[in-house]
Amino acid sequence: MLINPADELPIYRQIMRQITEAIAGGRLKSGDRLASHRELSERLVIAPLTVKKAYDELETLGFIETQRGRGTFVSARLPRVDRAGQLAQMREAARKLLAQAYLAGLGFPEVVKLLKEAGRDLAEGPRAREKERV
Amino acid sequence: MTPVLAFEHIVRAFQKGVPVLNGVTFSVAPGEVVGLLGRNGAGKTTLIRIAMGMLFPHAGAVRVFGLSPTEDPVAVKLRIGYVAEEQVLPAGSSIAELIALHRRLFPNWDQALERALLGRFRLAVHAKVRQLSKGEARQVALLCAVCHRPELLILDEPAGGLDPAARREFLETSIQLLNREGTAILFSSHYMNDVERLGGRVVLLDEGKVRLDRELDTLHEDHCVALIPRAAVPDAAALEHLPGCLRARPVFDDWHAVFEGTPDTVRCQLEEAFSLNGICCVRVPLEELFVELVGSNRLAEAEP
Repeated sequence: MLINPADELPIYRQIMRQITEAIAGGRLKSGDRLASHRELSERLVIAPLTVKKAYDELETLGFIETQRGRGTFVSARLPRVDRAGQLAQMREAARKLLAQAYLAGLGFPEVVKLLKEAGRDLAEGPRAREKERV
Repeated sequence: MTPVLAFEHIVRAFQKGVPVLNGVTFSVAPGEVVGLLGRNGAGKTTLIRIAMGMLFPHAGAVRVFGLSPTEDPVAVKLRIGYVAEEQVLPAGSSIAELIALHRRLFPNWDQALERALLGRFRLAVHAKVRQLSKGEARQVALLCAVCHRPELLILDEPAGGLDPAARREFLETSIQLLNREGTAILFSSHYMNDVERLGGRVVLLDEGKVRLDRELDTLHEDHCVALIPRAAVPDAAALEHLPGCLRARPVFDDWHAVFEGTPDTVRCQLEEAFSLNGICCVRVPLEELFVELVGSNRLAEAEP
């Protein structure tokens, strides 16, 4: 996990995003154990309360669950949200993306290529591409 | 719960009629982390020295663990740890001598923590203070400030003058202390990234007062900067009168105004107030927010 304190997104949101992305990309699976508050706080050099806040929010959303005395795990049953609403949002996002691509002079196949790259980033984590660039 | 530290309407001047602090009020709860921000000369160090009982306030009161740091200095200092930016350690003493002195002063000195920190910092205990680098001297000061397991740690510009790696190591130690001891921390810093990492709350001093006192996350999620064309608004006051506006300043062709609220709601509010379209409202990182809140006006040279 990587965090950037100079980002406009608060650190606890950056943690939430990376964990949900790892779940979406299959790098974290149901039942996988997450680092404890203390471990993650010391590893990332951030306040323990920030980690707690991220975990609490993820737990409320149903992505992770805490088992007393055992630790924090990716939920056995991951949340399914309102599919129709989600789909409408995705349609909107797709329209925006295509409009932006048009303004940038990109054709449809190039957009598909970008989407594939983004999909690979999700599956392999943000570090994979950093290495590629080096 | 009694706050570990409480400032009540603190006033302090160094020149008659020119108060550096002019009615500063805020408190720190047990286990809380508070970052004290402000420009150079905003009074951060003065406030910290008042908390340490090294300076008297001219008006107002300071309470540490509910006690007065000037009337009960020993009781207060036993429970507090302090590292100053220009920490003066006696140049001729060795690290071992300094630690031995502190061990004698503090009955609940934790030798296991002392050994752990000496090991982590890789300090040679027989080295004299004058032989230490700036970073090493700061590590010794931190060790001396925390091994009696204080309930409140006060760090005045702990990272000032340190290289990025030494700063990160200092931060790592502070975070481990937070994890293990639940120590409350009041620290002043100009490094916004360090402020973000230590988290918690920020208190911004400006013109002798607390200009802002917020949880960091609230600051990120519920504040934004609006860019409004200069011609659309007569003066800063017209913006600052609007609900939620914390500060407005001219920056060349625009007004930059910091608002409480999400970008969408602030944009609607402004577009309605000035019958304008297409106002840009954005969330900004802490460093930019700091500059917008306490930075000076930026005018083109032709302007008065």
